[in-house]
Order: sequence, then C-alpha cells, then structure tokens
Amino acid sequence: MGYLFITPTILLFIIFTIIPVIMAFYLSFTNYDIVSKNDFVGLDNYKRLVEDNIFWTTLKNVLFYSVLYIPLNIAISLSMALLFMRSRFGVKLFRTAGYLPTLTSGVAAATVWIWLLNPEFGIVNDILSKFGITGPSWLAEMPYAMLSIVFVTLWQSVGANMIIYLAGLNGVPDHLYESAKLDGANAWQSFRYITWPVLRPTTFFVSTMAIIGALQLFDQAFVLTKGGPANSTKTTVYHIYQQGFNQLQMGYADAMAFALSIIILVFSLINMRLNKEESVI
Amino acid sequence: MKKWMTVLTALSLTFSLAACSTKTGEDQTAESKKPETTTAPAASTAATKAPVEITFWGDWGGEGEKQFVMMADAFNKSQDKIKVKYVLQEDMITKFLTAATSGGSPDIMFWDRWRTSLYASKNVLHPIDDYLKKDNINRGDYYDEALKELSSGGKLYGLPLTVDARALFYNKKLFAEKGLTPPKTWDDLQNAAKQLTVWEGDKLIRSGMSMQDNGLFNMWLQQAGGSMLTSDLKKTNFNNEQGKQVLDFWDKLINKDKVYKVGFEKGLGEGTDAFVTGKVAMTYTGPWMLSTYKKYGKDLDFGVVPPPTGPGGAKGSVMGGFGLVIPAGSKHKDEAWEFEKWWLANKDNTLLWAKTSLNLPGFKPALQDPFFKDDPNWKPFMDTLEFAKIRPQHPGYSVMEGDGLMPNIELFIQGKQDAATTLKKGQEQGDKLLDQNAAGK
Repeated sequence: MGYLFITPTILLFIIFTIIPVIMAFYLSFTNYDIVSKNDFVGLDNYKRLVEDNIFWTTLKNVLFYSVLYIPLNIAISLSMALLFMRSRFGVKLFRTAGYLPTLTSGVAAATVWIWLLNPEFGIVNDILSKFGITGPSWLAEMPYAMLSIVFVTLWQSVGANMIIYLAGLNGVPDHLYESAKLDGANAWQSFRYITWPVLRPTTFFVSTMAIIGALQLFDQAFVLTKGGPANSTKTTVYHIYQQGFNQLQMGYADAMAFALSIIILVFSLINMRLNKEESVI
Repeated sequence: MKKWMTVLTALSLTFSLAACSTKTGEDQTAESKKPETTTAPAASTAATKAPVEITFWGDWGGEGEKQFVMMADAFNKSQDKIKVKYVLQEDMITKFLTAATSGGSPDIMFWDRWRTSLYASKNVLHPIDDYLKKDNINRGDYYDEALKELSSGGKLYGLPLTVDARALFYNKKLFAEKGLTPPKTWDDLQNAAKQLTVWEGDKLIRSGMSMQDNGLFNMWLQQAGGSMLTSDLKKTNFNNEQGKQVLDFWDKLINKDKVYKVGFEKGLGEGTDAFVTGKVAMTYTGPWMLSTYKKYGKDLDFGVVPPPTGPGGAKGSVMGGFGLVIPAGSKHKDEAWEFEKWWLANKDNTLLWAKTSLNLPGFKPALQDPFFKDDPNWKPFMDTLEFAKIRPQHPGYSVMEGDGLMPNIELFIQGKQDAATTLKKGQEQGDKLLDQNAAGK
C-alpha cells in the first residue's frame, strides 16, 4: 500500500531526474547542438575538456572562491546563531534582519550591489573614504572582483544557515552546559567540548550545501562581473552555460556538466570522510 | 544552482515531450478552426477565407512591444488574407531552439543579425533569395554590410530592419568651456580627453573619455587600419603593428594620461549615466542612446561626430542592427514573407516604425527622409554607416573575442601583462577558440 502512495513521486523523479541524467550522459559523447546534429563522437568532448584552458581556469576560480566562502560561511552563520540564540530584547529584529537578504532574488541583489560597489559613486567606497582609504574598483579589478562575489554571496546566504544553526543550537541539551559549569568550564571550553561536537551533523549539512553551492556558483558571477576581469570570476557553470546555450555545443557542455558533478561528488565524499573521522575522537 | 544541471539535461527530454504535445495541440486547433471556415462562406456567400494567422516572435517588451504590435495591426488592416500576431518571448533564442526541433516554430522572428552565421549553418532559418527575385526587390536598397551579416553560405536569410554603428558622443558644454572642437583624429581625441579629465586627489571626478567597453577593440583596430580576422575569416589578425597601436594608445589614455578609471561607470543606470551627469565628456555609443539622451533636453547639450581616424587616417566603426528572419520550421513561409516585404521593402512602412521607435531603418530610401537626413544627430551615424563594417562572420567570433582576446586585454589594462604578450596570447587562445567553435564541429 505504501508503494502506491510514493508512486507519483517516484515516477516524477524517474521522468524528470533519472532519465534526463542518463540522456545527458549519453549526449556528452555526441556533438549534439540542439537543432541539427547528434552524432556519436566517443571521447572527443572529454579530450577537448582536458585541453580547455578556460575550463581549468573556471575550476581554479571556483576553488579560490570555495576556500574563502565555505569557512567564512560557517564561521559567520554560527556566530550569528550564537549571538541571536538567547532571547534578549530586540533579538527577533536582528534574526529577521539577518535572514532578510536570503529572501531577495540573487539577480536583484547583485544588481543593487553593482551600484553600491561602484568605485566613485558607490556607498562602500564613500564610507571607506571617510577613513581616508581609497577603495578599489571592486568589480573591475583583479583580486577584488572575486572578493566582492564572495562577500555578496555570503551576505545572501549566511541568514539561511543561521536559521539552521539556531535549530541545531536548540537541540543541545541544557544539562550538558550545567554539568560543564559545575566542572568549572569557561565559555570557550563549553563551546569547544559541547556545542561544537553536538552541532557536528548541522555543520556537516551546512558545509556540504556550501560546497555544492560554491561549485555551482552562477548568478552572482553572471550579473556582477560577467566573468571578468580577465576571466578571474568566470565559474564552471557559467562556462557550461555559454558553451551550451550561446555556442550550441550541448554535447560539450554536457561533458563539462558531468565532469563538474563528479568533482562535486568527490568533494562531498571528502567532506563526509572528514566529519566521520572527527566523530571518532 | 542545481537547476542548471537539470535544465541542461531536462531540455533534451522536453524536446521529445514537446514534440508530441505541440503536434496534438495543433491538430486540435486545426480541427476547431475547420467548422468556422466551412460555415463562413455559407453565411457570407462570398469566398472569404479566414485569414492565415502567423506568429511573430520578438524579445522587445515594453515600448518595443507596443511598436511591434502597432506594425502588426497596421499590416493586418492593410489586407485581409494574413493576420500577424506578435508574441513576446523573453528568452527568445532558447525558446526558438526548442521550438525549431519540436514543430512549434514561429513564422517570423526579430533577429539580432550577428547571430546569423552561427544559426544559419544549423539550417534553422529559411533562405529568402527566391522571394527577392520573385518580387524584384533591389538589394541596392540596403547596406551591403547589413545584407552580408544576414547571409551565410551564399544565401540570404532576411532583410535588415535597423542599422546602427557607434559614433562619438561629446558634451558640448564641456567642450565649449575648454574651447575645444570635436576630435577628428586620435591625437585630437587624446588632447581633448586629457584637458577634460578632472581628478581630485586619487578620486576621478570627471573622465575625459569613456574607456569602459573593451569590446570596442574591433572598432579601434579598424581605425588603426587592421582587422580582427584574416580575409579568409579563419584566423585572428590582430597580433601585428595595428593591434599594438591600439593597445599602446589605450595604455596612453588610461594609464599615462589617466583619462579614465577601470570600473568608473559600472552599475550606473539611465538616470545616473555618466555621460548624462557630465561625469564623462566623450563616449562611444550607438543611435539607440539618442532618444535617452534627448530626454534630458537642456541639461545635457551633446553632439555626435563620426569616430576619429587613427594614425594612418583610416576610418572604422562596427555596424550592427536587427533584421527579420523566417525560421525553417515556419508553416506559413509565404505569408511571413508578405509581412516582411510589406514592412522592410516599403518606404512608408519602414519609416512608420523607424520614426516611432527612433531607429535608423535598414531600407536606404527611407533614410532619405528629412527626419533622418536633416537631423544633426542622425547625420553623423549615417556618415559612419558609409564605412562601418560588420563583425566578422564566423560562428566562433564572439567566443574568440570574449574568451580569447578580452581577458588578455583586461590584464593589459590593469598593468599585469605587456602589449606583446597580450596580443600573442590573444592570438593563440583566439585561434584555438575559432577552430573549436567553427561551423561543422
């Protein structure tokens, strides 16, 4: 009887997820261009991928982004959750304010940030100049463009993770803190030995989602910088999109998409492994 | 962003589904229409057949949509055999690709011309050479370059709707303050830009010349007497003296004379446009900005001149614009052609749209109208169009430019790479991209 209830969902899952994935895998071995061609070309697309400098550049960019984005995301959302956990006066307002950026559409938010980050007329450099600092052309100069994207995506995503951490923090049993207090543990110690270990599943979830999100970065890079300057903010998904939809090389785009999904799988497995090892301690 | 993966893959599935569903959809409408056609003659006795309805796709909304609908209505009123319906498609090209394979293709389409070399080679457009011959349409009534841009493999795929090219906009008030005349050569341009730039410490208050669009390299290269691709359109052709002249000149303007700051105009919308607010004294842009700038009336006193010439006296600008094309999947190609001919090969109709939408029409006789010929703002564009050239017709041209050359130019402008390396790397990467994205690959 139970199977009857899940049939519609499973059917939809098969039709819209499993079959397309299998088809895409097949298409990655063809020169599919949506309209006229669909010949089997063997491993050509994958060979081209290995020699495609831009593909490797995008991977490097995404790696650089992840190294900054993932730890910062966890640190900031966890600190926000710790700060806004206890019911103090006005805490709800802060929670709401922290969550608010998450509600805006990525493209709309990015559009506003372009304006805020303008070197001469933007508010960010205006504030910096009050401290005697000449801000850079955030979105047009080399290391700053990627830093700006990290900042904007963080601004937009920490709110959601804060909520997840808040839920996790509510699950930490109070008696652990009480007994720690009796044993003379200070705030840092009770965080290090109680909060952090108990939150491990939450951190695992947040970090896995952050890894996947980082590897699939697209909107912000597309709107904020169009991949520039000098391809320094071009992401893999952006490259896939360009090859597939602008150049009609769907087969090649498919091959890249598969390479990317394998990379995501590998990093997720590494993350899983790291979390397991820690739980043994 | 998981969506992208699924979109990519789901697309393929959608084709097969769409193929079945649209067919049945059409069968139904065909059937439901039948009774009307059979009852109509009985009622009116005359042989008035129901008009053939054709679909016209475009991606211009807002004002643009109103102007397209106006043209469709005018055409519908002019005869009773064909009825045109404008359908706004925000993501037109992607939708067109799915429609091209599933049978839901539009009958006529608003078309950004530079796409022709990429799409026509995939056989999704219908050539119009035979129609041209049948209706005695004179090719000389259109700019050669515009027709060339709508051609691929020796066949013509549409008629030009608009023509445009970049020309130099300058702020008359600022020029008068310094007693300057509009630049005619690169030297004039440099001199004017230098004098008009204002810095306050390390803050740029006013830029003499907007240098935000590196994509204009093509235009500057023509002014230096060069071209982006070799004459057989197979390889890049900028790693030479001409290419170096452009980069050296840009380096002078941006890094030595400091007439611009990278990112200066980023994120400025219409109301805060740096040219409107006088923060940029000169800028290269196209006729599409005229209506915007005219809106500011006396607050912005501007003039337009053809692009200044390079050191060797060569002129250069890039021609672009739109056309109307008939997709290969159209079921009413003849009717679509009737509409295209009515609109684009007739002076009155061409002018009607051109004047309403404020675009330079692609039909030359219409350009003889005083509205365009005698207007001091349109005139420089028409002069520029005399020598402007289209983008090279190679399916991989835009990728070569965007991924091969531009990243290197950006490194150069930010002082991270010298001119020789920039051109050499641009050539190597560009040639590779041209090859990978060539037709038939």
